Amino acid sequence: MARTPEAAYPVAGREQLPVEVTYAEVDQEALRLLQPPGRIYWYGVAFLAALVVAGAAAWIRQIYTGLGVTGLQMPEMWATYITNFVFWVGIAHCGTLISAILYLFRSRWRTAVYRAAEAMTVFGVFTAGLFPVIHLGRPWFFYWLAPYPNERWLQPNFRSPLVWDFFAVSTYLTVSILFLLMGMVPDAAVAREASTGWRRKFYAIFSLGWQGTEEQWRHFSMVYLLLAGLATPLVLSVHSVVSWDFAMSQLPGWHSTIFPPYFVAGAIFSGLAMVITLLIPMRRWLKLERVLTLWHFDNLAKVVLLTSIIVTYAYIVEAFMAWYSGDPFEKTTFYMRAFGPYGHLFWLMVLCNCIIPLFLFSPRIRTNLPLLFIISICVNIGMWLERFVIIAVSLSTNFMPSQWQLYRPSLTEITITVGSFGWFLMWFTLFSRHLPVISMTEVKEGVVWLKKAIRQEQAKAA
Amino acid sequence: MSEIIRIVGSFADEEQCAASIEKLRHLNIGKVTAFVPFPSERISEAMQLKRSPVRAWVLCGGISGVLTGFALTVGTSFTYPHHVGGMPLASITPYVVIMFELLILFGALCGVTGFLVNARFPRFEPVSGYSPKFASDRFGVVVTCEAAEAERVEAILREAGAEEVTSESVQG
Repeated sequence: MARTPEAAYPVAGREQLPVEVTYAEVDQEALRLLQPPGRIYWYGVAFLAALVVAGAAAWIRQIYTGLGVTGLQMPEMWATYITNFVFWVGIAHCGTLISAILYLFRSRWRTAVYRAAEAMTVFGVFTAGLFPVIHLGRPWFFYWLAPYPNERWLQPNFRSPLVWDFFAVSTYLTVSILFLLMGMVPDAAVAREASTGWRRKFYAIFSLGWQGTEEQWRHFSMVYLLLAGLATPLVLSVHSVVSWDFAMSQLPGWHSTIFPPYFVAGAIFSGLAMVITLLIPMRRWLKLERVLTLWHFDNLAKVVLLTSIIVTYAYIVEAFMAWYSGDPFEKTTFYMRAFGPYGHLFWLMVLCNCIIPLFLFSPRIRTNLPLLFIISICVNIGMWLERFVIIAVSLSTNFMPSQWQLYRPSLTEITITVGSFGWFLMWFTLFSRHLPVISMTEVKEGVVWLKKAIRQEQAKAA
Repeated sequence: MSEIIRIVGSFADEEQCAASIEKLRHLNIGKVTAFVPFPSERISEAMQLKRSPVRAWVLCGGISGVLTGFALTVGTSFTYPHHVGGMPLASITPYVVIMFELLILFGALCGVTGFLVNARFPRFEPVSGYSPKFASDRFGVVVTCEAAEAERVEAILREAGAEEVTSESVQG
């Protein structure tokens, strides 16, 4: 009877570990993905591109007509667009967590999944960066955020969290791109050697002429380690800065000192869920069962569970602080969140972010990929709702009850939001079949490490 | 001038490759270059490599980032004075955010530049002795030595477990 990958790597035990793979097989698995894709793949890309075109058309209409085509009106001047901005910045966080923080902690299970997560980071920031510009009434003046001297004295206010955001997000985008490209250099060299024609030239550019001498590895390992060291505080700072966009204001529901850690944990939570959402279908469609094993998903699910518990704790503390403050505005905002007109969204958020992830305590569910996929989708929905609840729901009940207003997203905002998902997925889909989405060098290193660890364990036992 | 020979040994095993390098370095024969398909601590130890100077580039980049952030924020505050409620023109606490972000940005950019300069990238010509299999699943040891020592080097490589040993004359 033919052994399926799941049979080869059962739910529990060492058999899940990818130790049976040889170096050449790792290359074969990864290089197979770089073969010219079939027609169905291109239909998928065309569909995603159509979503992007629809989103772009809605934006052009908004620029032509003005922000009146959106559902934005006083006091809710931040709603779906800023929700999307925070959501996509959050999605972008997981890549750096897996590639930098877990690299520094030497978590070996990251090796097979980190490239996909890093690519997700870059495309997440690409997508997030669009929304502050889309949200501007006159998007052609977006460059006013950049610090440049001019005769109109339009110097940016460096005390403003929005300017910090400009620096944080643009630094994050630059460092994420550098990190992704640097990590890809040795793998691009493997792809270069295995290809011909224009593909060989294409990979030669990414490989920079890499040949893998110990001298090259010496400098590579150092720069990669230091980039990881720089990216780790950066990733924590970026979502802290994003949270200050809210926390530095006086608005009830926003003005809170727990926002930075709460946002960072939420960002990692949503990002890991998105990695799982993307990797499970990718594993199946691209037949990556030998490289992306249940061991990897089990570990990813454990981190999702941990961050879910942190996020739940933050929700409880936030509500407690509102009650304990005795501030009537703060208390009203939190009461309205749960029992006001948007209450159903709040409870759906609690269900998706706090209750459903608790199923991941079960090892069987962590390694049951269809169930894990469903849980990851729930977390994605829950985390989008979390940002909506923080932003739109807090704004709907400000200090003046006479201003209270219900916000409903317009068709333009919905189309642009759907277009942003198309934009993100289109870049990721293109990446997954044209550049090495599995890090061959790190998977090989991981296999060596696993074999050594098992040998040492066996020697101890003997 | 005596003939110079380049000998290339190909290994399937990391440990055997490291052992051959250690022996060659111990006997001080020729110039040894190693090719590895993934970063190997064992081979780095055998080659007795020093730490990369890239870290100094990152340090300089980080310091210059902080200074740039300080100059940008404080300089702007005084060049374009904006008086708000009698508060000081420059507020260092919020400016730390900008300095921190520029520390990371400049550190990363200088680190990558340092890597390109030190490892001499982009490289358009292959390193002598390179074979595509060294990028995939084989470890390579390339020894450039005088013709008189060639036989000894070949013997060391074969003894250590090289799958294949080839030699060619590079200079006569």
